[in-house]
Amino acid sequence: MSIRRPDSRRPTPTPTTEENGTNNGQRNSVVLGPNDRLVGQLYIEGDLRVAGTVEGQLEATGDIEIAGAGKVKGDVTAYNRLTVGGDASLIAQEVRVARLTVADGATFSGKVSMGKHVARAAVPKPAEERVAPPVDEPVAEPVPVVIEEAKPKAKRR
Amino acid sequence: MDVQEATAEGAVSAENGEVKRDGKKQFSMGPQDVLEGKLIYDGSVHADGRLEGEVRVSGNIDVANGANVKALLEGSNVTLKGNVEGMVTARDKLTLGRNARLSGDIQVRRLQIDDGATLNGNVRMGDFEHQASGQ
Repeated sequence: MSIRRPDSRRPTPTPTTEENGTNNGQRNSVVLGPNDRLVGQLYIEGDLRVAGTVEGQLEATGDIEIAGAGKVKGDVTAYNRLTVGGDASLIAQEVRVARLTVADGATFSGKVSMGKHVARAAVPKPAEERVAPPVDEPVAEPVPVVIEEAKPKAKRR
Repeated sequence: MDVQEATAEGAVSAENGEVKRDGKKQFSMGPQDVLEGKLIYDGSVHADGRLEGEVRVSGNIDVANGANVKALLEGSNVTLKGNVEGMVTARDKLTLGRNARLSGDIQVRRLQIDDGATLNGNVRMGDFEHQASGQ
């Protein structure tokens, strides 16, 4: 079945990597700066650079770099390369990477598995997170408004 | 396993085995050499060829590129460039060179892993509880 759109209705552009601050068609990359802090799970399609503090699981389809005075406490999976800088720290149970570089001076502990990476299902796929922000408009707000108006009709249009 | 102990002065021929370097003893193996057993040595060890068993030294251990080691290694600074299977303890620093392949658990105070090295095992970093030391 073929669908033809009228010219007036052009398809809305799908979000691309540009949205995440990377430049034109480059790999997606996310940076957590020195004052940034993450508690929880993060899955990135692309590269991740951590100079802040992370407590939780990190997974990236590209490289992960723990740089500066970055501190990560939790499991790390990088489909490509993991780099831990000289002032950085990684305390993990499991570290699954294809390539690994640890600079002298780094704090590093955990069980390291290197080699071909097999994607695992433990970390939720990013689909929901991506859609979430725009939909999340003040749907929850009406509650105080209803009390104020105190009308029998639930809504007026 | 058949275990033989080689001490500082024993077991190894003078030309190949013991080299003075900075006044410290060094036990040096060549690419054709084979050592099977347990070596406790007051000095440093340069491992090449084939090494199986256990090596505990007061100085440093370095494993040459192309060497095959299936052994428990313990030393101050341990530098690996070849294949190693076994537990590694570095009282100071462990360095994995770009061609190093290590499968085994490691306990270190400092750790450096160069790009290209392969590591499979559990890494523990920090101070040393005394674990089954052969000294």
